[in-house]
This record gives sequence, structure tokens and C-alpha cells, in this order.
Amino acid sequence: MSRLWKNSNKYFFDSIYIEESALNYTITKNIMEKYNTSNFIIIKHYKDVFNRTNQNFIIQKQNQSLILAVKSKPFIYKGPDVCQNFGYSNFYYTSFLLNCIFDCEYCYLQGMYPSSNIVAFVNIEDFKSEIKDITSRETSFLAASYDTDLIAFHSIIPYMDYFYDFFKDYLNLLVEVRTKSANDIFYKTHKPMDNLIIAFTLSPNDVIKKYERYTPSLDARIKALKTALSQGFKVRICLDPIFIGEDVSFYYEPFYNYLFSQINPEDILDVGYGFFRMSKDFFKRIEKTRPDSLLFCEDYSLKDGILSYPDDLQKKVMENHFEILTKYIDRNKIFSL
Amino acid sequence: MVFIVTALMLEASPLIEYYNLKKDMNINNYQVYKNEDITLIISGVGKIKAAMAAVYILSNFKCKKEDILVNIGFCGANSLKYNLGELIIINKIKDIDSGKDYYPDVYFGKNIKKETLCCSSKPIFKGDYIDDNNILIDMESAGIMEAGQKFLYVHNTVILKIISDFLNPKNLDKEILKGYIKNNISLIDEIIYELKSLNDLLKNPFDKEEKIVNILCENLNFTEAMKKMLFKEVKKAKLKGLQPVNILNEFCNMEVKIKKEGKRVFEQIMEKLK
Repeated sequence: MSRLWKNSNKYFFDSIYIEESALNYTITKNIMEKYNTSNFIIIKHYKDVFNRTNQNFIIQKQNQSLILAVKSKPFIYKGPDVCQNFGYSNFYYTSFLLNCIFDCEYCYLQGMYPSSNIVAFVNIEDFKSEIKDITSRETSFLAASYDTDLIAFHSIIPYMDYFYDFFKDYLNLLVEVRTKSANDIFYKTHKPMDNLIIAFTLSPNDVIKKYERYTPSLDARIKALKTALSQGFKVRICLDPIFIGEDVSFYYEPFYNYLFSQINPEDILDVGYGFFRMSKDFFKRIEKTRPDSLLFCEDYSLKDGILSYPDDLQKKVMENHFEILTKYIDRNKIFSL
Repeated sequence: MVFIVTALMLEASPLIEYYNLKKDMNINNYQVYKNEDITLIISGVGKIKAAMAAVYILSNFKCKKEDILVNIGFCGANSLKYNLGELIIINKIKDIDSGKDYYPDVYFGKNIKKETLCCSSKPIFKGDYIDDNNILIDMESAGIMEAGQKFLYVHNTVILKIISDFLNPKNLDKEILKGYIKNNISLIDEIIYELKSLNDLLKNPFDKEEKIVNILCENLNFTEAMKKMLFKEVKKAKLKGLQPVNILNEFCNMEVKIKKEGKRVFEQIMEKLK
């Protein structure tokens, strides 16, 4: 990764902002110890920095700062319709982190937040308590790494360590941790649990190079996925987002064949499948901040406030992809929107 | 454009000399000095005057968000951990009067000290009540921040302070103070260079295409909606590695008399761009 501190395994942050109220939390103390030479700036509230007007997402992304903050309610949210619920009607998501260390061109976070700095919430006990309150009534599905990549962030703040025992004891909750990371420390140092799914987002290598800046290559992700499998973790494959276009469409067939030559499909829990899609409002914002993106220059079809490829085109491509995928994996194990 | 605000002529004169700035004789309200890419204004002392002067040049010279606003000036320190004449980059400003805090993004000067600065509307002397042991105080920064955030990207408003005294600002030698600015000019110049390079990333990659589209739409009486559609197609063509400028040039000298004819040419151009 290009943003590691020279001669160290520490990720480089331009500055580290710390909320006054976050100072006494364990996560904050650990970060202050780890980055003891950093530029610490004490702030009253994270929004004083994160929500400033006229921030430039692109410039900030190349000079990311970390903001340590105490989150107030709500701690979990109902899962949105644009995300797969994998058959669970009680679908929630939570965000211990706002933003991500990766820089994917298609990422909706660019249109969602005014800043590309990373906010890390330090009051993990409050998260646990609300997760427990809301999801205790019936079995629930919790996406814990939707708006970020917790595994990629693990060497900076090991959220998965902090939540491990909680998730382990709380069997009513099925947790999905989605990642593009090649970091396999977590799988090597923790025992698998029945209610934890590691969901690897995989794409053809040329799509990764084209759209997913700072992310590991396909082979590095497959290597981490194999480690997770060999350690006994439940693994999901997310083929999401899928792109359609004369410059990318032909990558998918060899990609699927390669993928299942490397991974035994029997070992995979299931597959999530989805096309590139985005809320119209986010799209419009990103269109302005990324004028040089061909992806945001293309015409899409608008349906219920969401821009994506036209339905008939999606159907055609999906049929074609599923024909290949079902050679390896049962149709019932593939979830799409 | 780089806009520099200093409170005093004393702070400005070494910069005017270094950048070979010439007085703008068309402006009477303020003393403004400029060259091709730097404009300097002398605001007078205090955050209100600083904000007014900053807004004046930013508006008068029709700033863009990618332009840079730098406040260069002296500040007092109450701690001997700082050296007289030392340049400090400010990463937080506390307005003592309003209680409001400002956080400039600091993406430059990796090896220069970065600190919090307090901004007061009146001079603070040693012995006045201050609740922080290591404090830097000036009288302009909050005004500069307030003005800058309205017009520019946040990373483009920059506060650079040089320690002039230890909160005993009386009878300071003007020549020594000028010397402090002169001694830091190469650092200031490096910072300005870093900021300009940073903003190069934000240059419009379709500047040339936009100009031609504007001329074409004017000549061919295209509507705003047609102009928008055309520019989008031109962008797409360029991103796909085509040369849309060559296609547009073919139509540049064409004129149309009736609406229907314009529509036909529009369709022709759009077809060629695909």
C-alpha cells in the first residue's frame, strides 16, 4: 500500500483529530500510543471537522486524516433496499467507521459524505448495547462493514477484536463483515464462529486496476479468502458491483472460471451478485467531484431514485453470467437484488 | 491565483520585494500589490479588518475555489519553547471572543512545526488570564478563516505565523521584525509552491473542450439543454481516447439561420462524437 509510513507498518494519516469526549476511551489511548509522533488536534465535535463546507473529496483522499469520535444514537440502521439481505427480513447495518482507506471510483461514499477523512467511533460498548436491544427479539442479519472495510482497517483499529466476544456470545445475530482486504491476521488469530460470515468482494483483476485504487489484487484477495476458509470461517463471495460495457464485459467469463479453479465452490457459503447502482443524488455529487471519470459520464436508467443499467440489459447479462456461475455453484446459493 | 493578507506594511514589505509585486493604482480602499499570480493586500490589525480585506480581494479578483488564501503575520507566544522569528503552521484556531474553532487542512510543510493559535480581538499581554501554558496569539486568523471558507476549498486557506514576541509586543524593533519575515521567505515560498502543486490535481481536464463547445453553441444557437448534452458527449469521447476537439473544429465556422437547421447540425455532431 502506498500510504504506509516509511519503514513501518503504520498507515499514514495527515493529522489525527480527537474529540474531547473521546480522550479517555481505550481505542483513543491505543491510537495515541501507536501514533505518538503524529499531529494530534483536539476538537469539540467530529462534525466540526467532518462536516466543514467546501471540502474537496479528491484532495482529502490523498491526504487522509483520522478523526476519533464518540457516536451518539442511533448505532444501527435498517438495511437499505439497494443491498442484498440474503433472505433475512431483519436486516440491519452498523458503521463503526465512516469512510474507507480504499479509493474505489464507483464508491457511493464519495456522494454520501462531505469529507473523505475517516471517522472512527470509540464508544464500542454503546454500539453493543444498542445492537443487543434492537436485535434481541428475533434472529437478525447485521452488516458490520458496509460503509467501510473493517478487515483492511484491522491493523489500525482492530474492531473485530473488540467485538469478537460479543458476536460470539450473541447467537441471535448473524454478522457479515465485507472486505476487499488481503489482511489475514484476523483469520489466523481468531477461531471461526457460526454466526460470522466473511464476505470477500471480488472482481476481475482488470476491473480492480481500473476502478479500485489502493485495493489488493485479485490473487491477494483469493489468498486471504483461502486462509479464512482453511481456518474454518464461513465465506461469502460478493460479485458486486458488476459493470457492463464494451471495455469491461469480456473480463467476467474468464474471471469466474479462474475464481472457481482457485476456490472449491463447495466451501463457499453463498454468492452475492449485483450490478453497479447508485442513488441519483449521490451520483450527481460524484459527477462533479470526479469530472475525469468515464463511469460517471455514462447514461444510466433511473428507477425509484436509483441509477443503474437498464432492466433488460441487466437481465441479459445476468442470465449469461449465471449460466457460467451455475456450472460451479447451485443457483439457490446465488443472491441478487 | 495566490492571495496574501498581511495586517501591516511591515509584514508585507519583504514579500512585496521578494515577489516583485507592483502596487495596483486602481484600488483606493486598500493597499494592494500584485504580479501575475500573487495578489497581496494589507488589511490593518484585527480579525474584522482581516475578514473584510480577504473578502474584498477574493471578490474583486473573482477567485475560484482552487485559488489560495494565505495569511502571513506575527503572533505572540507565552512559552519559551518557541524561538523568536520561528515560522509556525497553524492547524487549529480558537476564536477567544466567540468560542468558535476553525480547522485549516494542512497538507504542506511536513517538517515545519504545527500548532493551535488563539485569535483575540484585542492585544493580550503577559500576565493576562490565559488557561493554556503553550499558547500562540494573533488578532487576524479567525477573520481570515471565516472569509476563506466561504469562497475556497478548505485546504486552500492557510495561516502562517512567525513568533514576534513573548506577549510583550511594545517597542519591538521594526527592522528585526522585517528580518524575521525575510528569514522565512524561502519556507513561505516552498509552502506556496506545495499548495499550487496540490491544486494542479483539480485543474479542469476539459478546459479546452469547454471553450470550443461554448463558441460552437453560440454560433449555432444551441439551447442550454443542447449545450449540456453536447459537453457530456465531448467529455465521454475524450475519456475514451478520441479527439473531440478535431470534430468540433469542423463545425466551428458554421452558422445557422433557422432553429431546425441548428437541430440538424447538433444531431450531426452528436453522431460524429459517438
